Amino acid sequence: MPLPYLTKEFGMETEQVSSMLDLGTTKSYKIPVEHLDYSFIEKCTDVRHLEKILVVLRSGEEGIYPALTEFCEKKIESLDPRSRALRKEKPPATAASFSSDEWREIMCDLKSWSKEINQRETELKHQSVLDNSENVPPVRGSNVFVPSKQNKINKGKTSKNKVVPREYSEWDKFDVEKECAKVEGCNKEKSSPGLINHGLPKIKRKIDTTGLTDKEKNIIANREKDKGNEFFNAKDYEDAVVYYTRSISVIPSVAAYNNRAQAEIKLQHWNNAFNDCEKVLELEPNNMKALLRRATVYKHLGKVKEAADDLKKVLQAEPENVMAKKLLHETEGNKDMQSKKQPKGKRILIQEVEDLDDETETESCLLVGGESAAEKGEMGNAQRKFTGRGDGGPQTEEKSPSTAKKAQTKRGSSEKGSYQGAKEQGQVNEFQRNESYAGDQTSPSSSGTDSSRPDVPVDSGALPPDIARLKSQGNELFKSGQFSEALLKYTQAISDFTEAEIDSPGDLSILYSNRAACFLKDGNCSDCIQDSTRALELQPFSVKPLLRRAMAYESLERYRQAYVDYKTVLQIDSGVQSANDSVNRITRLLIDQDGHNWREKLPDIPAVPLSAQQNRWEGTSANYEQTQQKTKGSGGSKPVQDTGKKTEALFLSHKQEGNDFVKKGQYKDALGKYTECLKLKSSECAIYTNRALCNLKLNQYEEAKQDCDSALQLEPSNMKAFYRRAMAHKGLQNYAYCMDDLKEVLRLDPKVAEAEKELQEAAELFSKQSVAPDSQEKQRKKIQIQEVNDSDEEETENTRDKSDGKEVNRHVGTGDNQINHCGSENMFPLQPTNAYEFGQALNAVKSKEDIAACAKLLCSVEPENLPSLMSNKLEVDSFTIIIQALDNHLLQKDPTLVYRHLVHLHEAERFKMVSLLLGKTEKEQVKQLFDHLSTVESVQFTSDDIQNLAKHYLF
Amino acid sequence: MSTPLEKPQIISHIQKSLNYTVFDSKWIPCSAKFVCMGNFPRGTGVIQIYEVQHGEVQLIKEIEKAKPFKCGTFGATSLQQRHLATGDFGGNLNIWNLEAPEIPVYSVKAHTEIVNTIDGVGGLGIGDGAPEIVTGSRDGTVKVWDPRQKDTPVANMEPIEGETKRDCWTVAFGNASNDQDRCVCAGYDNGDIKLFDLRNMSVRWETNIKNGVCCVEFDRKDINMNKLVATSLEGKFHVFDMRTQHPTKGFASVSEKAHKSTVWQARHLPQNRDIFMTAGGAGGLHLWKYEYPAQRSKKDADEIEMGVAGSASLLQNVTLSTQPIASLDWSPDKQGLCVCSAFDQTVRVLIVTKLNRV
Repeated sequence: MPLPYLTKEFGMETEQVSSMLDLGTTKSYKIPVEHLDYSFIEKCTDVRHLEKILVVLRSGEEGIYPALTEFCEKKIESLDPRSRALRKEKPPATAASFSSDEWREIMCDLKSWSKEINQRETELKHQSVLDNSENVPPVRGSNVFVPSKQNKINKGKTSKNKVVPREYSEWDKFDVEKECAKVEGCNKEKSSPGLINHGLPKIKRKIDTTGLTDKEKNIIANREKDKGNEFFNAKDYEDAVVYYTRSISVIPSVAAYNNRAQAEIKLQHWNNAFNDCEKVLELEPNNMKALLRRATVYKHLGKVKEAADDLKKVLQAEPENVMAKKLLHETEGNKDMQSKKQPKGKRILIQEVEDLDDETETESCLLVGGESAAEKGEMGNAQRKFTGRGDGGPQTEEKSPSTAKKAQTKRGSSEKGSYQGAKEQGQVNEFQRNESYAGDQTSPSSSGTDSSRPDVPVDSGALPPDIARLKSQGNELFKSGQFSEALLKYTQAISDFTEAEIDSPGDLSILYSNRAACFLKDGNCSDCIQDSTRALELQPFSVKPLLRRAMAYESLERYRQAYVDYKTVLQIDSGVQSANDSVNRITRLLIDQDGHNWREKLPDIPAVPLSAQQNRWEGTSANYEQTQQKTKGSGGSKPVQDTGKKTEALFLSHKQEGNDFVKKGQYKDALGKYTECLKLKSSECAIYTNRALCNLKLNQYEEAKQDCDSALQLEPSNMKAFYRRAMAHKGLQNYAYCMDDLKEVLRLDPKVAEAEKELQEAAELFSKQSVAPDSQEKQRKKIQIQEVNDSDEEETENTRDKSDGKEVNRHVGTGDNQINHCGSENMFPLQPTNAYEFGQALNAVKSKEDIAACAKLLCSVEPENLPSLMSNKLEVDSFTIIIQALDNHLLQKDPTLVYRHLVHLHEAERFKMVSLLLGKTEKEQVKQLFDHLSTVESVQFTSDDIQNLAKHYLF
Repeated sequence: MSTPLEKPQIISHIQKSLNYTVFDSKWIPCSAKFVCMGNFPRGTGVIQIYEVQHGEVQLIKEIEKAKPFKCGTFGATSLQQRHLATGDFGGNLNIWNLEAPEIPVYSVKAHTEIVNTIDGVGGLGIGDGAPEIVTGSRDGTVKVWDPRQKDTPVANMEPIEGETKRDCWTVAFGNASNDQDRCVCAGYDNGDIKLFDLRNMSVRWETNIKNGVCCVEFDRKDINMNKLVATSLEGKFHVFDMRTQHPTKGFASVSEKAHKSTVWQARHLPQNRDIFMTAGGAGGLHLWKYEYPAQRSKKDADEIEMGVAGSASLLQNVTLSTQPIASLDWSPDKQGLCVCSAFDQTVRVLIVTKLNRV
């Protein structure tokens, strides 16, 4: 009898035994009866098997053997103490389960608690009800609809398993055991891909407690401290610090300070830890933990003597303190080396955390008004930045708080300096971007200082070389318009950065900010928002992340948040033109949307601290000078800038009018307006997509397609452009391309329901078309495009400027392609690099029957690549147009190229098929081409070669 | 934890038989009182307030209303007001001032069918931001309400037109770490779990655990999402690590076969988010501790961050009743104090000892 479940460990042996004795098996699990035996159980090491034996024994179906059962349990416990089979049903504990002392303690504890809580409740009732509704954020909105689709996971997978859907009546008959058995073993879960919010959103470091009673504050402070402890236990020290800080912001307590000190030690933020220890010792001069922790900090800062003093104090009070002894020993060991070099002490963790601290009575909490203000300063980001970098530095010799403060201010000011420097540089960048052609052309000469578009690393000295390298690579890529590659670089840099545990929020902030710029460029607004938010967390009130976030919000149509961010930017620097314009525009939009009370619905606009503003002011004035010099230097770029501004205004007004027309449904007028816009500036993607929409609405599919193509050239991942081009292709009955485009849309955002629907439809139409390719007369369906186009109003001036710059770059960079680019009306990518682009381009020339353009296209590709570019898309008509182009345009110019093309063309995938389908006229054309070719004399090929080749084409 | 007495013990401190089916029980914050909500045999709804006094419970107040109550929460009220929000069999969401329960302070016909589940956030100092209540119903919708807005929900999570409506069994708030971010997690009878992001108003993540989802709860409502526990009909629970979301794999999870029957409830200890209790269909309670892995995230083959699940270890288990335990609530004020109600028409006050030593 085969026993499939037996495992190797005892498989052979038992099989033989059972076949020899054949005593039969148990009813459940079919275990050989002889396994229910002391000696077998003793030897068996397979927990699963033992568990089964235990189940059989417990069930009593083979007789009741309490001693054997217990023996089996013990054996399982020795093998796997966490085995589920050991779980027994137990009654709740009673007084008998405890010693009398313990029981009394539990009951007393409960009694005293209920007395205390009753007292608190009566107090609570007697308090006047304060309504602090002004602190509460506004109502979220009204009846926002969030569609949720059902998961289609189980469908068709398990035939009989009717998990989805189950009728209500069926639940009555639901057999849990059976379901368990079914689910057991197949633990795999599938989850659908979803939206991802990377990283952590901002957590306020301070809690607003206005209007709260002391009791409530107490509760909140304790709760925040508990959360801090939880984060600490989960080794999430940064969050732990945040929550301790929150707790302290409500009510400063010894325990919270002490715990925060410990968390800061873990993060190696020695100065913060030191400050916290000092606070504790101020409140409680003999707090052992604080002394120990301060000693640890001293030790790491290289101040052996102070450390030893603290440790001795601890040992005086608690002579048996192991930790203190150990630390003291180590510090003493270090003392000798101290004179030479600052020793890099080993990290010592004071493990026992928090439990005891928790027990520190809340009564000892002090409400110190002035101190909490001081605390706030301590929380400031800038400060953290320098403390991090000043780690272990020889200059940190805080003997008393006053000298410490001095040192702080000193470094704080130097910090300010560099900060300002950063701003300047950033600002220069911005100005530079605003300058048009001439300005940008000069930039290569001054590159290295400020030509990179992303924020230039100011204090990159603090960055490890590999991260700095990643960053500069990212900057380069960003400059050349390869945003997704740049994105990868920045992401890498960020993760390296966090792994390296460098405490330099400024640099991290810049990395995040740069990555945000990439996201913005890629149209990934939500990620852009997150990254900017993180950048701002690290470096509050820096202009760039704010601007980027604002743009992202705007393009997500979250105008309120965008408004707030723009306003913040203006608070910091009122000279940011793009912010000014955007604010005006959004104000209009918000008034339209929310009526005259729109301001009431706004989230709070954060007040910018004066220091940040001041910096900005100085920064801008310096800037201004710099730019002035710049303009002088580059000569003549200023007038360009001025006219640029005028056209900008005109452009905007046209665009606005166009959008209005669209809203009213007057697509023709809108079309005119957009065309005018494009005359002024041909580099804005949104205009192209908007015009494409108008064209679509007017059933001018060819034009719509062209617009989309142009838009995609500007923004290769513009979802709208893809969608609209798909619609245009659909109108032109190019269902294959239509499907390609729709797939692209879905790749960019898998949740676009319309695209999915259209894709299905297109697939159907496509299959119909391929069945009957001759039926030219197809019912043209009217296409519904619901989405309205406010969101196309997305780009703010700044991005427009950027894209301007991009355009310029491209012109400069790819000089030889320029003719191609302008000449062929932007119909196809300059140099098709993949089958998709080539297919697009070929399709474009095909539909226009533009043989000249086709010839250009053929010029731009290497003949060797032709088969791969063609992939399986070779059709009779494309074949024909290629032959025509080769014959009419290229033969004279470059017969060798023609020959090479022909050689490689016949290697294309569907060549045989196509050559079979050629009609008479087409064959004639091919023949003609070969005739022409054979008349040409060349060193590259002989007439024999041509004869051979012709055989492939003409059977 | 070497000797058994070092383990937390679950003591059934007080038992009280009731003359109605009790569906939900909740501690009144900042008091030694709790409310029981349920269904009289005559088909009316009842709310009772009990107070723990000298080792027994005293009935303080009884409120009878037309429709049976299914669920209630104090999550969206201030500590001073302590208004109870309830969902009933008629699909109504009501907010009661328990001192003056004659008329509700807020009332809305929230759903067309029974309100199965309710949760609140933004009150009691838990969670920054506006007070909001979320309700889930048999009619397949999940709606978010702001008590300051009459008649209409602030958000409505509804199945797409034409799809079968699945019974929503459980909802929970989470991720309320600042005044903008907020998530709602909903579990459905077909095993779907959906995470709605209220800030972006979109579905952020969804999965299916194959069997009806009886209960979902975040370990904390008012921090960045950390963990989510989901319990299911066939006796398992899943703990999802919500810190790291992978683009395709979603959140890492660990599942544990907890009970031999449906797990009806899972509730995290308010004083320690890594400890939670599950309540089972066979009247059992299991106390668990989640242990984090050494590294909470790792890189997959494509260098994308993905979460790593920890493990859940059983601290204690007891069997209280032969009937399913339908509700469970930890006291927010006293660590280890807990109230639970079972379908044997009994409400029990439990004490769990030594929780701070785990």
